[in-house]
Amino acid sequence: MAANSSIIADFEGQPPSSATRWPARNSMGAERRYRETHHAKGSGLSHLQELISAGEGTEPAEVRRLAGEMQIPEATLRGVLSFYTDFERKSTATRVCQGTSCKLAGSSALGASLRSNHECHDTYCLGYCHRSPAVLSSEGELFTGNDARALANGTFSGIHAEDDSTPLRCLAREPIVLRNVLKGHVRDLAAARAQGVYEALAKALRGTPQELLDTVEQSGQRGRGGAGFLTGAKWRSCANAPGQPRYVAVNGDEGDPGSFVDRVLMEDDPHSVIEGLILCAYAVGASEGVIFIRSEYPRANAVMRQAVAEAYENGILGKSVLGSDLALEVSVRTGMGSYVCGEETAMLNAIEGWRGEVRIRPPFPAHAGLNGKPTVVNNVETLVNIPYIAERGADKYSAFGTARSKGTKVFSLNHGFARPGLVEVEFGLTLLEVMEEAGQGAGGQRLEAVILGGPMGSILLPQEWGVQVCYGRMGEAGIQLGHGGLVAIPEGADFRALLEHWLEFMMEESCGKCVPCRLGSKRAWRLLHQEAPTGRLQKLNRLFDLMEAGSLCAFGQSMPRPMRKLVEKFGDRIFAPGGRL
Amino acid sequence: MNRALAWINNIEIEIVQGETILQAARRLGEEIPTLCYSPGLAPEGGCRLCLVEVGRSPRLAGACHTPIQHGMEITTHTPRLESLRREILTLYLEVDEQREFPTDTRDSEFGRLLEHYGLRPKSNPCAQADERSNRTHTYLRFDPDLCISCRRCLNACEQIQGQFVYGIASRGPSTHLIIGPGERFDESACVACGACVDQCPTLALTDRDRMNGKPAERVTQSVCGYCGVGCRVEVESAGNRVLRIRGVPGAAVNRGHLCVKGRYAHNYHHSPDRLTTPLKRVGSDWIPISWDEAIHFAAERLQQVRDQHGPNALGGLASSRSTNEAAYLLQKLFRTQIGTNNVDCCARVCHSSTALALQIVTGTGAASVSFADIESARCIVLAGSNATEAHPVVGARLKQAVLKGAKLIVIDPRRVELAEYADHHLQVRPGGNVPLFNAMAKVMVDEGLIDSAYLQERVESVSEFREFLRAVSLETAAEQSGVEPAKIVAAARLIGNLRPALFVTGLGLSELTQGTASVMTMANIAMLTGSIGRPGAGMMPLRGQNNVQGAADMGTMPTQVTGYQSLRDPQVRNRLTQVWGSAPPEEAGITIPEMLDAAARGDLHALWVQGEDIAHSDPNEAHVIKALTNLDFLMVQEMFFSETAKYAHLILPAAGALEQEGTFTNGERRIQRVRPAVEPPGESRADWTVIRDVGIALGAEWHYDEPAAVMKEIARVAPHLFGGVDYASMGPDGVQWPCPEPGHTGSTRVHEDGFVRGKGRLVTIAYAASPEQCSTEFPFVLVTGRVLEHYNVGSMTRRTAQCELVGEDFLEIHPDDASAIGIAAGDFVELESRRDRAKARVRLSQRMTPGTLFLAFHFPESHTNRLTSSYTDPQSKCPEYKITAVRLQPATAVPLE
Repeated sequence: MAANSSIIADFEGQPPSSATRWPARNSMGAERRYRETHHAKGSGLSHLQELISAGEGTEPAEVRRLAGEMQIPEATLRGVLSFYTDFERKSTATRVCQGTSCKLAGSSALGASLRSNHECHDTYCLGYCHRSPAVLSSEGELFTGNDARALANGTFSGIHAEDDSTPLRCLAREPIVLRNVLKGHVRDLAAARAQGVYEALAKALRGTPQELLDTVEQSGQRGRGGAGFLTGAKWRSCANAPGQPRYVAVNGDEGDPGSFVDRVLMEDDPHSVIEGLILCAYAVGASEGVIFIRSEYPRANAVMRQAVAEAYENGILGKSVLGSDLALEVSVRTGMGSYVCGEETAMLNAIEGWRGEVRIRPPFPAHAGLNGKPTVVNNVETLVNIPYIAERGADKYSAFGTARSKGTKVFSLNHGFARPGLVEVEFGLTLLEVMEEAGQGAGGQRLEAVILGGPMGSILLPQEWGVQVCYGRMGEAGIQLGHGGLVAIPEGADFRALLEHWLEFMMEESCGKCVPCRLGSKRAWRLLHQEAPTGRLQKLNRLFDLMEAGSLCAFGQSMPRPMRKLVEKFGDRIFAPGGRL
Repeated sequence: MNRALAWINNIEIEIVQGETILQAARRLGEEIPTLCYSPGLAPEGGCRLCLVEVGRSPRLAGACHTPIQHGMEITTHTPRLESLRREILTLYLEVDEQREFPTDTRDSEFGRLLEHYGLRPKSNPCAQADERSNRTHTYLRFDPDLCISCRRCLNACEQIQGQFVYGIASRGPSTHLIIGPGERFDESACVACGACVDQCPTLALTDRDRMNGKPAERVTQSVCGYCGVGCRVEVESAGNRVLRIRGVPGAAVNRGHLCVKGRYAHNYHHSPDRLTTPLKRVGSDWIPISWDEAIHFAAERLQQVRDQHGPNALGGLASSRSTNEAAYLLQKLFRTQIGTNNVDCCARVCHSSTALALQIVTGTGAASVSFADIESARCIVLAGSNATEAHPVVGARLKQAVLKGAKLIVIDPRRVELAEYADHHLQVRPGGNVPLFNAMAKVMVDEGLIDSAYLQERVESVSEFREFLRAVSLETAAEQSGVEPAKIVAAARLIGNLRPALFVTGLGLSELTQGTASVMTMANIAMLTGSIGRPGAGMMPLRGQNNVQGAADMGTMPTQVTGYQSLRDPQVRNRLTQVWGSAPPEEAGITIPEMLDAAARGDLHALWVQGEDIAHSDPNEAHVIKALTNLDFLMVQEMFFSETAKYAHLILPAAGALEQEGTFTNGERRIQRVRPAVEPPGESRADWTVIRDVGIALGAEWHYDEPAAVMKEIARVAPHLFGGVDYASMGPDGVQWPCPEPGHTGSTRVHEDGFVRGKGRLVTIAYAASPEQCSTEFPFVLVTGRVLEHYNVGSMTRRTAQCELVGEDFLEIHPDDASAIGIAAGDFVELESRRDRAKARVRLSQRMTPGTLFLAFHFPESHTNRLTSSYTDPQSKCPEYKITAVRLQPATAVPLE
């Protein structure tokens, strides 16, 4: 999910000087020190993952044993175990994607019929929106589209996961993000090197961190997580913050249901992610990097782990990066099934092994992030831009895009478009142009709307498609670019089902930290199913107001927006007297 | 620099660095509603009721966690905000059809908020409330249906007590509060401090003792009568019964916090077996007599013994649980009316080694610091103290300091709770402190981790000490102390690098034949690191009983008179003559162990024991009983018919801590007012009045109408410490001595401008092993001590529901030792020392090192002190409770005779 937005984003960029000092007990400080003084071994979720297999750890005696091994308090451990779906459910179960795109492709029914024959559970989302529906078998085999539908017959045998390549296109003058992916898989180091990966790093290491920081700042690049915060400013803020060690955390748990660019980048251009990470570490003086990848992306996990290992073997990571004085340790951590962990502070909690709950801000991660130390959190797409900027220079990069939005953006187009896949465009193009390139609706179907940026983004009607792709323009129009996922809604779609889907998604994934999001979703769901419809619309809108204004993080704040619009524009089809009330 | 200003509801406010919008608003008296925030806890930011508008930004800010900044224009109660707040409250009521809040919720913060916003819960399920609630604890009750998961209990548990009992489970709308490993308080780490209950805004968490409780008729502020921490309490009472106790919010010592004993264990005051009338022994019977008769009988018998055997044939033991005023009068009575310095108090059998050692090397025996220094300490050394059990509120403060980042080194044979939180735990062999501290000093000196300027300026004997250290061998020290060299070095380096450090000590240093040596060698380290007299550093002995500090301060010591003044100093004698009309004998009196020895020999004939159960608590029980039975006259002031009372000739019923007026002095030298919350039962009386009346009957011309008058005299007798101490001028948090003249605000630290004795002294002490040693016959070392749930001889706690928590003394033993001799958890064992036998039930504990055992002495039937020896520290005469060689064998549950 979008990483940067915050209820007090207005104050972002000028964190108060006291932020690092106060409040002293915030952000799991006591729990960290507890583990430190208890000489806890291993770290965080990964360690817990190693210690338990699913379903364990619920009996008091078992909790006591595990808590002793983990050196975290018993109730805290129970809280962690019950937070993540992968601990709750058997990791060996088949996962059926229930992301919006798959939902529109009938994943509810698919899931229901699969459940009658297999142990399986729902998940958001596997990142194959261009080929919905998607199912991930317990063996890690992926089934999409018709193959997935065929699974409903009750057997996995005889069906072979088809080629999983993603159609890629570039409308920009030059590909930046997809520069390597467009040339085919560059998974292994040799292939990556052949494409010039790590040359930008070599060049940057010949200069100073300050120079690199200046370059990134001058490039005007913005984080691709959703809020569009200036990458250079974030780095500078971290570089200037007191505290050691510093961290770079790569958010590989991002991507709203509907967006899959990060998955593709991690799977097909892992070394560019690592290169971006190292460049960031060099610029801000970080000595450790963590790449956090959602468990719903098993292949991205495997590829990134392999790439990190290769980088270590070849002197790209470790005590001396490319023979320089830079020392950098990098590890890959796998999420345990929580959508909110794409929110940067929730992700930091997850990496540390706590409940993936959102932290209050300030302090911002740049000042007090991972283990309470200065941390840059960047998402995958953001970091893949960095080597390009470092190598070609700020001017070259900022020549792409608009005055306020530099560079390019990759859109993820779902199966509802005639030509789904990834499309890299320069900022400044209109959304309509992007969609026309995608050939509008699949099978010539007219589109009634598109969802941009996932359930936390915007639902856009045809008259709004002329908007320029640009953080500034979109912001003015109240449109969230989010992570650039585009989900086509064909004519005649079941909007009631869509609304229910979003509310279920919210109930399922809300971290539980703040009341509007935690209880608001359920109350809205109940309103929708309440028999007497009197005043229901008004009540729903009041709830949306509350969640939007009152929630602690972007998840609760942004989820109501498309739902509100759905109710406003298609209320008759959701609440129609003759409809499925 | 210009003032930083902000506006809240158009009222200008100057910004305080680090303050949140909510804190600033409260400062202005602008109340912003909240359910999850509580002062003193880190903001949670979850309930979102405190959202406010900042400037014209459409984005709202959470007032509880947003720092107020220059130029902010904040509005707290716009129609939009109020409607959001109503909506949030409605969520709690309507989100779950099953959930029913009691309609009458006015007693709770949540209920008052609902009322304010015109909301009413649907129905009243109070009838079932008790059934559905979690009652897995004697004192605590949790009703999950009333819980709104605000997490204040969880935060209080973590941030006040540091227990981590609570957790949050699941996510989304199913997010809920969980307890321990499996929903039971009694299986969790809960220590029943009650901090969570005080926080709960919905009454989901309540004290079982206050459910459906009577309303209070009276609220009295006083000081807890248990340990030497001296927490301030608010006592609610009605119909002359104590209803409930809570901590005084904002009190300097405890900031509203209490422990399980202070908060809940107060029913002993109303125990049916309270002594309510003076009792005189006639043959084997006890006859109730009038106070007049009792006072005259006491005076008569004391006089007779004095006339017959001389003044030194009498002795007095002051109670460390009674008031300063009582202790002062008792020593004055013995010194002026009997004419002997044979007065002592139970400090003798606990911290006398500490006090003496610190007096020798620094000039004063009391703590050099305040508890508040815990929060500013960077490095804390906790030696021989199980603070979280014996001094729970200080223990919690220590744990909090550590959780906030202070480094902790624990030196203790047992893996006590705080050892779990330690950066280093040095599991020293009982009695192995001296070589350990000497070795640590050597590491510090050798590696230059010392404060040379401090040493040069403030400390003497430095070169001799350096010379002495040359001969110290790390390997030998490791062998003698049982701590491996690498650990000694690591701990010494940590302390040396972070110097100055705070040294918190308990009886594990003091109650040894090397007690004074242990404390002095630790003081060496404190001086090397420049720690004494510095903020966040210094010496903090944790005093055992509520007024043990005060009892010693008042002069219930055979060697010194009130305020630690010399008996021979002409100036002091002059002053005493002026105030008292006469000066005491110049010759020092004898200590408790010496009095008991003298009684056993037949040299001491009369003993006045005020509130002290020496037959239970003093070592070598057989010897104590022999001494007591030998006495011509034993008078006892007691609340209960104690073990000691059995041997008395006269028993005088005493008032409890909550039944009298006076002052207690805590372990940080803080003199605090004690006020009666209820009347003493029957004819029992406050000790000080009884001592006064016996004094008058002995011929003293004493005119004390109230304790305040006694304190006025104390100020005159020892002006250097108490000259400015006066009830009238004392603030609610009392005053810390030295407070030498009227208007003086007291001293948070001593030795700040140099040591009281001039220069601090480094002492060279070589290791001398305890005479009590293990052998093949007696292979185990027994350490005796206390547990959280009970207090000393248990006379108070055993008469409360604490017994439901812990109902007997357990022998803690390492599982390997237990299996080696074929005993299992819950079995009974017989312990036998070179003196006698005792019996206890076994509890297997990883906290013990193999070969070491632990047994408390709270229950008289355990007879723990039959085992302990008569060995004492040669200087302080403090008994060696911490080392007894014993052997074990399986036994039956039948108690010993």
